[in-house]
Amino acid sequence: MSEPRAHAFDESLISGYLDGALTQQERQRVELHLAACGACTELFAELCELRSAARDTAFRIPSDEQWREAPRGPASRSLRWAGWVMLLAWAAGSGAFGLWHLAASSGPLWEKLAVFGGLSGGGLLLLSVLLDRLHALEGDRYRRVLK
Amino acid sequence: MMVSVPMIVPSPASAPPATAGDGDLVRRCRAGDREAADALARRHRRGAYLLALQLLGDPDDALDAAQDSLLRLFQTLDRYDDSQPLRPWLFSIVRNRCRDLLRRRNVRRSEPLDGDEQHWRPELVDPAADPHRDVERRQVRRHLWRALADLPAEHREILVLREYQDLSYEEIAAVLRIPKGTVMSRLHRARKQLALRVRDLLGPTASAGEEP
Repeated sequence: MSEPRAHAFDESLISGYLDGALTQQERQRVELHLAACGACTELFAELCELRSAARDTAFRIPSDEQWREAPRGPASRSLRWAGWVMLLAWAAGSGAFGLWHLAASSGPLWEKLAVFGGLSGGGLLLLSVLLDRLHALEGDRYRRVLK
Repeated sequence: MMVSVPMIVPSPASAPPATAGDGDLVRRCRAGDREAADALARRHRRGAYLLALQLLGDPDDALDAAQDSLLRLFQTLDRYDDSQPLRPWLFSIVRNRCRDLLRRRNVRRSEPLDGDEQHWRPELVDPAADPHRDVERRQVRRHLWRALADLPAEHREILVLREYQDLSYEEIAAVLRIPKGTVMSRLHRARKQLALRVRDLLGPTASAGEEP
C-alpha cells in the first residue's frame, strides 16, 4: 500500500466504491483499477475488514431506568413564554398605575420615594434577567442547527 | 451465529413504535402531545447515546450528552423542517454537544476498555463460529476502538457516522455541515489513518498469527 502509484486515479473513489456511493461509470473505473493495482486492492480489502469489524461491534446501552424523565416538550415551553408575557404585562400595568397614583397623590415625599424606589428596583431586576436571557439566546450555537 | 447478549438488545420499551413516522411525531409534539414526545425520545435516545459514546468514549459522559442533546432537540423542534429526516438534525446536536464537552474538559476521548468492563465496555459480539477467527476479529474490533480514540476529531466524527452509525453521505454532510462532495475524500483520508493505526496496533500479533 505504501508503494508509489504512478497513475492519475482518485484514491478516494475506493471509499465511494466501498460505500456504494458511485455512479455506474465510476464503479467500472474503480473495478478496472482494482484489477490492475495490487496496492489499491490491498487497501480496499483492509478497509472492508475495518468496516466489517466496526459493524460487528455492539455496545451496551443504558437501561430505561438510567434515563431521566422525558425532555421538556414544546407545550411547557409555550406555557413558560405565556407566563413571561403575562408577567411583563402585569409589571408594566402595575408600574404605570403605581407611578400615576404616586404623581396624583398628596402624600409625603418619603412615601413617594419608597414606592418609586421599589418599582424601579423591581423593574431593573426584571430587565436584567430579560437581557441575560436574550444574551444567552444570541450565543446559543444550537439555535440555528442545520439552518 | 450471532451471540445474543441481553444487555445490548433494546428492551421492548425502548423499541420505536412502528406506526408513526418522525414527521408525524414531531407535528404531534408541536401540538403539545406528551405521548408523542415520549415516543420520539424513546425512538432516538439509543442512537444519540451510541453516537455520544463513540465520540466521547466514556459511558457516563455519553449518557449526559445524549440526554442534553434530546433536551436540545425538543427545544429546537419548532425550527426543524419536518419534511427532512430527523436523525441528522439530532446527530448534529449530539456532535456539537460532544465537541463542547471535550473542549470544556480539555480532554481527549477516553478509553473505557480499561475501565469498568463489567458494565460498560463495548460488548464485542462475533458472528463467526470458528473460535480462532472469533478471537482474531475480537482483537481487530478492540484495536479499531482504540485506534479511533487517537484520531483527530474531524476524522473520528466522520468515521463514526459512516462506519458505526451507517449514515449516508447526504446525512453525514448535513450533520457535519460540509459539502456532500467533501464527504468521500475526508472519509477516505480518515479510513486510511485508521487503517494505519490499527495495523500498528495489530502488527506484532498479526505477524505472529501468520506463523504456521
